[in-house]
Amino acid sequence: MRRDTVVALIQRSLLVLLILYIVLPLLVPLIFSFSTLWMDIVPEGFTVRWYLKIFDRPKYYRGLITSLLVAFSAVAIDVFICVPAAYAINRLRGPGGGFLRAAFKIFPLIFPPIVVGTGFVQAFNRPPLAWSGSLMLAVFAHATLGFPFMFRNVLAAFQTIDERTLSEAAASLGANLWQRFRYILIPNVIPGILSGSLLVFAISMGEFEVTSMIAGFGWRTMPLLLYRSLIDDIRTASAISGILIATSILAFLGMTLISGRVGAGKLRAAGARE
Amino acid sequence: MRRISHEWFFLIPITVFLGLFVFYPLTRVVLRSFTDNLTGHFTLQNYLNAFTQTRYLGSLKNTLWFAGACTLVGAVGGTFVGLLASRMSPKARGMLLSFYSLPMTLSSLVVAFAFIVLLGRNGVFNIILNRYLGLPKFDLYSWHGLVVTYSFYNIPLMTLTMASVFLNLDRSLIEAARNLGAKAWQVWIYVIIPVLAPGFIAGISIVLAGMLAAFGTALALTGMAKSLLSLQIYSHASESNYNIPQASALAVVLIVVIVGSLATLNWIERRLRPGGER
Repeated sequence: MRRDTVVALIQRSLLVLLILYIVLPLLVPLIFSFSTLWMDIVPEGFTVRWYLKIFDRPKYYRGLITSLLVAFSAVAIDVFICVPAAYAINRLRGPGGGFLRAAFKIFPLIFPPIVVGTGFVQAFNRPPLAWSGSLMLAVFAHATLGFPFMFRNVLAAFQTIDERTLSEAAASLGANLWQRFRYILIPNVIPGILSGSLLVFAISMGEFEVTSMIAGFGWRTMPLLLYRSLIDDIRTASAISGILIATSILAFLGMTLISGRVGAGKLRAAGARE
Repeated sequence: MRRISHEWFFLIPITVFLGLFVFYPLTRVVLRSFTDNLTGHFTLQNYLNAFTQTRYLGSLKNTLWFAGACTLVGAVGGTFVGLLASRMSPKARGMLLSFYSLPMTLSSLVVAFAFIVLLGRNGVFNIILNRYLGLPKFDLYSWHGLVVTYSFYNIPLMTLTMASVFLNLDRSLIEAARNLGAKAWQVWIYVIIPVLAPGFIAGISIVLAGMLAAFGTALALTGMAKSLLSLQIYSHASESNYNIPQASALAVVLIVVIVGSLATLNWIERRLRPGGER
């Protein structure tokens, strides 16, 4: 009995330590962004001044609006290209489907942001594709970086619902392709689409690497402003970091909620095995 | 026949998208890497530079060492945390793994900022280390500082993979081997490692490929002071010393290095697989 409580105590404290490893680096910028002064170990005072600055100055709130606009557009593009593709590739049996599924898994590894950036910098600077420096190019870049994540989530959703059987049942009742999508498939894979959207959204909001390579003079996203302020304005940097951290956390809370609803049965089954 | 046609129709958007934003830019990168920056004529000079000039050779060497070190730390840390996670109650594990999926989407600049506040010259931990423990300050702006910072991505990434690998490890296999008289080391070599290997190698492939190309956090922390291949590409593709053909050649070298590493890992994995090629 005594030994059990000691073991439980060690386990508990280990869990806390392991979670602190992630939480501490996220918490510190947040504390920093709400404190008036932090010169020593303990921060002093509470203020929202640094956040007000972001909503006050056009340079910063335009950056926030730009980031949101780019993120929403990138999500929309990825939904548009990935939902049909996942549907089709899930149906493709045989080597073709397997090859495509593997290709989409390896794709982001061999085509990392630095290569995407190098490609984008030189591929879109002459008619009919003269998009250099435009916000649209940033949207396409973010969609390019995000689509493997969207694809993976939507494909997983199609795989779990046994799409073929559902579709055949609906077709036998007289539903055409559009009706099958509208009333059967989309409602069933919407958790996957939402998870993918949240992931792509969070990645886009924080994307710095490619964005900084293709940035035009007319616009800045939040991470670009953060890069500037890291050098000369650490207070603004803390507030921008705070906003980006909140975005990531909210996205993951959303994803946990979604997978909790869908996967509650699955999780319980995994637990029962122990 | 009708069914096949409607499936291929659904592949049109992604095909157009990939063609325009992946294959076309990639083709441009490869083609431009063989041209002269000023005249535009065909040349192999950019590749020659990549393998003869010390700044590029040095950056390639740095990249390999840095990515290797990051992968090692990520693999050890992630395997350890993943093993612990697999032994936890489902509730505790769920909580831990939720937290460990957070860094994945976090901006590289936010991570840089967080570590500056924690471990920078006047970072909280450094003050504690220095004032209360009398230890020298940790240098965040060094190579090992970068490895520690990037571990914030790599350890969680590896943890997520390894937790599911350990959870899928079938205990009855181990018991069966024991019952058949296998010694502890035989169980490890013939049962446990082959079962863990595919997931483990998939995990380190993702970490290694990511680290070979990483540069955001490094740029924010140390600027161009630490020469990585990715930073050389970045500086030629978007900064003052603009030289797209050279950047393209280095990018092709980087892709070849990544593909080579992944192929090697894949080859090792196939050799370890039970009943695989020997």
